[in-house]
Amino acid sequence: MRRAFVILIVAFVATVSAHAADPNKVLRTVFPVAETGFDPAGVQDLYSATIEQMLFETLLTYDYLARPAKLVPLTAEALPEVSDNGKTYTVRVKKGIYFIDDPAFKGKKRELVAADYAYALKRLIDPKIRSPWAWLVEGKIVGLDELAEAAKKSGQFDYDAPVEGLTTPDRYTLQIKLRESDYNLPYILAHEPTSAVAREVIDTYRDVAGRAMSNPVGTGPYVLKQWVRSSKIVLEANPAYRGFTWDFAPGDAEDASIVATMKGKKMPQIGRIEVSIMEEDQARLLAFQNDELDLMNLEGPLAPNVLDGDKLKPEFVKKGIKLSRIVDPSIGYVYWNLQDPIVGGLSKEKIALRRAMAMAYDVDEEIRVVRNGQAEEVQYPVPPGVVGHDSHYRSPVRYDPVLANKLLDWFGYKRGADGYRNLPDGKPFTIRYASRPDSLGRQQDELWKKALDGIGIRMQVQKDRFPELLKLERQCKLMMRTASWIADYPDGDNFMQLLYSKYIGQNNNGCAKIPEYDALYEKAMKLPAGPERDRLYHDMARIIEVYAPWRLDTSTYRNMLIQPRVVGFRKHPILHAEWAYIDIAPANGNDVATGLGRRAAN
Amino acid sequence: MSAYIIRRLWQMLPTMLGVVLLVFFIFNWVGGDPAYVLAGKISNQEQIDNIRRQLGVDQPYWVQLGIFLKQIVTADFGASWSTNERVSHILLTRLGPSLTVLVPLTILATLISIGLALAVAYVRGSFTDRMVMIVCTVGLSISILVYIIVFQYVFAYKLGWFPVQGWGDSFIQNLFVYASLPILIGLVVSIAPNLRLYRTFFLDEINQDYVRTARAKGVSENRIMWIHVLRNASIPIITFLMAELPGLLLGSFLIERFFSIPGIGREVILAVERSDFPVIKAITVYVAFATIATNLLADLTYKAVDPRVQLK
Repeated sequence: MRRAFVILIVAFVATVSAHAADPNKVLRTVFPVAETGFDPAGVQDLYSATIEQMLFETLLTYDYLARPAKLVPLTAEALPEVSDNGKTYTVRVKKGIYFIDDPAFKGKKRELVAADYAYALKRLIDPKIRSPWAWLVEGKIVGLDELAEAAKKSGQFDYDAPVEGLTTPDRYTLQIKLRESDYNLPYILAHEPTSAVAREVIDTYRDVAGRAMSNPVGTGPYVLKQWVRSSKIVLEANPAYRGFTWDFAPGDAEDASIVATMKGKKMPQIGRIEVSIMEEDQARLLAFQNDELDLMNLEGPLAPNVLDGDKLKPEFVKKGIKLSRIVDPSIGYVYWNLQDPIVGGLSKEKIALRRAMAMAYDVDEEIRVVRNGQAEEVQYPVPPGVVGHDSHYRSPVRYDPVLANKLLDWFGYKRGADGYRNLPDGKPFTIRYASRPDSLGRQQDELWKKALDGIGIRMQVQKDRFPELLKLERQCKLMMRTASWIADYPDGDNFMQLLYSKYIGQNNNGCAKIPEYDALYEKAMKLPAGPERDRLYHDMARIIEVYAPWRLDTSTYRNMLIQPRVVGFRKHPILHAEWAYIDIAPANGNDVATGLGRRAAN
Repeated sequence: MSAYIIRRLWQMLPTMLGVVLLVFFIFNWVGGDPAYVLAGKISNQEQIDNIRRQLGVDQPYWVQLGIFLKQIVTADFGASWSTNERVSHILLTRLGPSLTVLVPLTILATLISIGLALAVAYVRGSFTDRMVMIVCTVGLSISILVYIIVFQYVFAYKLGWFPVQGWGDSFIQNLFVYASLPILIGLVVSIAPNLRLYRTFFLDEINQDYVRTARAKGVSENRIMWIHVLRNASIPIITFLMAELPGLLLGSFLIERFFSIPGIGREVILAVERSDFPVIKAITVYVAFATIATNLLADLTYKAVDPRVQLK
């Protein structure tokens, strides 16, 4: 009896100490687009993934303040042990981490084990689930593709079948064997689709597609308390979460003040997170200004209302509102289809045509007119904040319509009677620029029309819905389109792969096949990040400039608006949500129930 | 009466079939292939084919149409392609918020419009009548978008009388806190055209012989206007109102988006943005059904309002 009492007391103390979050600390934030669900293998939208990062845990994550983003263990005891030239990875899961209680566990505490991660990785390639993240593991792990092939024939994925490349030598150890050397696997293990899920939970709640979109049961710092689809998501601190002590090294002066405020705090501090879905720009901004929101991502169209250049307007500064601004780990680019009979090919006159079009386009005007000043010109295919980025690199491709005209004249693209140029063989030609039927698409149409008119090239706009554009793109049937790519993981490989010919029909949207580029990429993918790989990336960037399969245009800024009461916030380039790393001053008389905001209540 | 209802229900079938064919072919013509979006950023043809197979969009059109017809008959439209949520659950959960705004809005807009229209019809040609008509003309020339933006800025943000947006858990809170400003905007937008229209209905009646007779017999003006004129003008008003009802459910999408109300109109826009055909199909079919049903209800109401009406 006495022993049971002592155990109870110890358990109570342990629970109290683990749970530092204050239920009175409420963070209110907003998504501009509705979420779709919370199954790590099943969703692909940013906003669902943001919530998932709070509910589930990956083996690895990123240091909150380190830039460029740096991997650190999350549920792993340490970073993976790499052996066999990057072909074998061994990770040990921390002991004593538990899933939140759920009826699927039949009243028992359920500890997180290595097999949960093996199961999560297998789910990505299960054909029934049709995960948009299959590419993270496809063709990589020894024996896994064979299992998927067998599932296609039998209609049932055998999760119990042994996979040579995915083993758990003991309860807490996960060993992954790869077909080829791949130094990016640790990034994959920090990506939320590989978060641990319990097989019992999926078996209990799965739908016909094998996904459990509505019943997230994880080990993360928060639990899903309320979900009104497409309207409101409420998270509460997970009482069983083990917690962590805030201890991150500052990277710059802005970080130093964050460190001074946050260092040593038991995390998470915030007890409740309320996420509203507001599609309209005005509603979001007014709600923030009305103190109904604590954090808000300032989208491009709203920027002129809030910012003077890269600084907040005085009225916002006066209220104590703060801005955390980063360049998104993304690139925008215009591609030309290298298999197209008019703009494609690697002959000199085709290269000249593409280079002339690249030089005719004024990226500064796009930044000014289309992006409201909330973007910068991309110089290098690997954007800032991503390993492999070179901030000193300057692309020689620049806006120069005079030179573009001379280049076309030189290669025989003579003007006809109507003022437009013909091909060197005298035949007329028209460039088809494909875009979406939205306001951004229309603005880009106009800028490209103006650019190509300036060098005497006829242009037609090819309008289509996004799914149709994707379809035509994968079939190499578009001539030219503006595309963008945001980092799945913060390594240059995620960007340099976009021109690798083996990815034609997948993410090589210009259907580029440049043998020199392919050879360099194949060398680079066998190397870990470092000077040797950087040199190869430089050579590949020069190849892009020489052959002009792309015209790099902009990387957008991400501006986070922060109310004065929010403490310790710094926008992370890869983590979707920083909520577990920040604190908030307790609300005084906040009328959360009515949503009238703190200003109205005070 | 029952024979009339059965005949009208029977006549619904070809209309519904027309709607089904229209929705099916329009979506397949302009909707795009959802598999390319659902497959994710990096996917191969095999994965895309697998998705198309699971969604059933690889089937011949006549098979897909057959499945669509079966879904209508069984009232089971399956699950959303993007969220896997049951379509029936989507409709049930989104209907409540829409009705919380639309029911009080429709009742208030109808009562206020009728009252004002009767009043200005009574003083036809006066300065008041002309001023009200000018205000109405100006009012209905302005887009609802302008009303939303201005009212949200002035009444919610600047004056703080209402929350800028939001939706809570209790019906009372939603009705009196969150729905108040959307209802106010809805009233401002709908009263102007309603008032002009109803005024013409009342003027038609005021000039009838029975009104002159009633006045000659010394019936009070209040009784003439509120009993005789209103009753005789109610048939075109009911026709107009019933025709408006189903459209209101979808037409409120702007209000629902700006005020973050999780209603049907907002769901339709979301479904179109996501090429979520099961949701689009279900909502279109139900709205078509509701339109036909409210037309039937309007005809039945004529009989209740005016016993002289014969249903044939």
